[in-house]
Amino acid sequence: MARIRFEHVEKKYSNGFHAVKDLNLDIQDKEFIVLLGPSGCGKSTTLNMIAGLEDISDGALRFDDEIVNFAPPHRRDVAMVFQSYALYPHKSVFDNIGFGLKMRKVPRDEIERRVREAAGKLEIDHLLDRRPSQLSGGQRQRVALGRAMVREPAAFLMDEPLSNLDAALRISMRAEIKELHRAMQTTFVYVTHDQAEALTLADRIVVMNDGVVQQIGTPDDIYERPKNTFVASFLGNPPINYIDGQIESTDGSTARFRRGDLAFDLPASIAAKLGSSHGREVRLGIRAEDVDETAAGAAGSVIRGKVNSILPVGSDQFLGFDLAGQELFFRVGKDLAHNLGDDVALSVDLNRLHLFDKDSGETLLW
Amino acid sequence: MTDTVSPSGRGRRLRQRFGYDERNAALFLAPVMVVLMGVAVFPILYSLYLSFFRIKLTRPNQTPFVWFDNYTDLFSNELFWVSVWRTVTFSVVSVSAIAVIALLVSLLLNQEFRGRRVLSTILLIPWAIPYVANALMWKWIYDSGYGALNGLLYQLDFIDKYMIWLGDQDKTIFLIANAFVWKEVPLATILLLVSLKAIPADLYQAARVDGANIWQRFFHITLPAMKPGFMLVMIYETMMAIRHFDLFFILTEGGPGDASHVLSWHIYVETFRNLSFGSGAAMSYVLALVTFALSYIFIRTLGRRI
Repeated sequence: MARIRFEHVEKKYSNGFHAVKDLNLDIQDKEFIVLLGPSGCGKSTTLNMIAGLEDISDGALRFDDEIVNFAPPHRRDVAMVFQSYALYPHKSVFDNIGFGLKMRKVPRDEIERRVREAAGKLEIDHLLDRRPSQLSGGQRQRVALGRAMVREPAAFLMDEPLSNLDAALRISMRAEIKELHRAMQTTFVYVTHDQAEALTLADRIVVMNDGVVQQIGTPDDIYERPKNTFVASFLGNPPINYIDGQIESTDGSTARFRRGDLAFDLPASIAAKLGSSHGREVRLGIRAEDVDETAAGAAGSVIRGKVNSILPVGSDQFLGFDLAGQELFFRVGKDLAHNLGDDVALSVDLNRLHLFDKDSGETLLW
Repeated sequence: MTDTVSPSGRGRRLRQRFGYDERNAALFLAPVMVVLMGVAVFPILYSLYLSFFRIKLTRPNQTPFVWFDNYTDLFSNELFWVSVWRTVTFSVVSVSAIAVIALLVSLLLNQEFRGRRVLSTILLIPWAIPYVANALMWKWIYDSGYGALNGLLYQLDFIDKYMIWLGDQDKTIFLIANAFVWKEVPLATILLLVSLKAIPADLYQAARVDGANIWQRFFHITLPAMKPGFMLVMIYETMMAIRHFDLFFILTEGGPGDASHVLSWHIYVETFRNLSFGSGAAMSYVLALVTFALSYIFIRTLGRRI
């Protein structure tokens, strides 16, 4: 059981690369935290700092109340699952799973019992005599999970554990990891660049970019109330669409967004937050799914353009949409029949609009 | 595609097995096969043939066919057994030294430090030196009158007079082994370094999280991963050591006495000094068979579980 706290933590490498900048994060006991971001954003470095595999340049890392900046990995009572699984190639599955216990001088019969128990839960008990090279990707993944499970650690660290699996297996393993978290009742810190994994698994998501935390929040917070354009763009498939323009006629209760002859009457809830920002340059964000064609859109919420591309994705279709030279992508029902070059009018769900400052990219709404 | 009219099943099978590609390949390989027949296969078979005759160039008219006498005589020859013993000593000492030193050097070169590339390049120099040049160099170093070894030890006060190093029966074989080790370590180091470089870094990270200390990481991850490299080094260096000739020829000519009278030197003396080609050929065959048997044993014992 562990609460993990980063207080103003910095990570600088000797070559001058500043991997993590002023990280403040309070991970609750038994929480499932997902660190999400593009490669090189510092998420794996953060995980390695928790594991003790990377030194901390500045600040404090606490497990419960104890500062562990200088504690070696084996004193931290954490277990880790690596992207490559990092199974010991010369050891059997049994010895791979039991290695951590053996190093901790757990009695032989206790190791035997715990390895068989974990293998049973993961349904790999028939593979215990095999070597990693004789296993499929999914089986290796289970061995790696088993190696972490038998340790019964205070925190479970996972570095992109599913990224080497094929798509179908990835989805079923997601469910198993979620179940594992429920069963083990321990803190999970999970690193991924896959937004779907983050949204399905996390209690809270930490979005990182360039070593800086962009936003910390529940999956709902992150998706519905992104703090800046980076977070808004990183989640969503296809990504959120932006239209740059200006705020007109704000008197605190009504507001209008305009770019050229495109104009939206912003709802009162949004207008109230804008205050007096007449003439302000803003970036309007429309999530791909927040449009509808069938509803007869009220005036001031309609967007017109030409169909540029049609990408069916099974249940839905992605519509490439040409708005005065700018390409937008929307997700619409597949029963809507369109041909390339058709003129279409889509009605935008104004209550779900996002507004960002054009220069800073920070949200104007929350 | 045109097989349907083939006269017999056998003809068709043959044609399928030796199709167009195979016939072309055979055509292109033919010239080199002819050359190899002339310079490798023929001498090998001819020396086997010779080993069944008593051939002494001093009695060119008497070359009786003697069946296996050359082989049986060999095993009752006392000097032959001395040479076997010398060869074993030389090989065991030099191969173990090569393995240990190459292991340490490869572990060192696997670390990141300033000047690593320069050091690696310098360490390769002995490898680039021809065997004969290496032997001549060590002859100078070991020389009793002007040798660098004497000079160094004398100036450091380890010895109070110049020594005739290669004249000392107890030391000769080890001094020659030293020269051999110096020449062979670079290659062995590279072979081991390759297997070291192939170990993924996250294995070590996983082991650290699992609580393995630096020694446990070495024994549970590094050593097992180096096994294929080690096997290669052991086989190659053993084969080089038991057949080695140049150093013995240039440094000691088998002496003093029989102190460095190894098998390859014994074969040389028998064949080219005693001009006894039949028994020389028989000994060569024995040496080849021993080399072959040793490699087989190495592969069976070390190669298992890889």
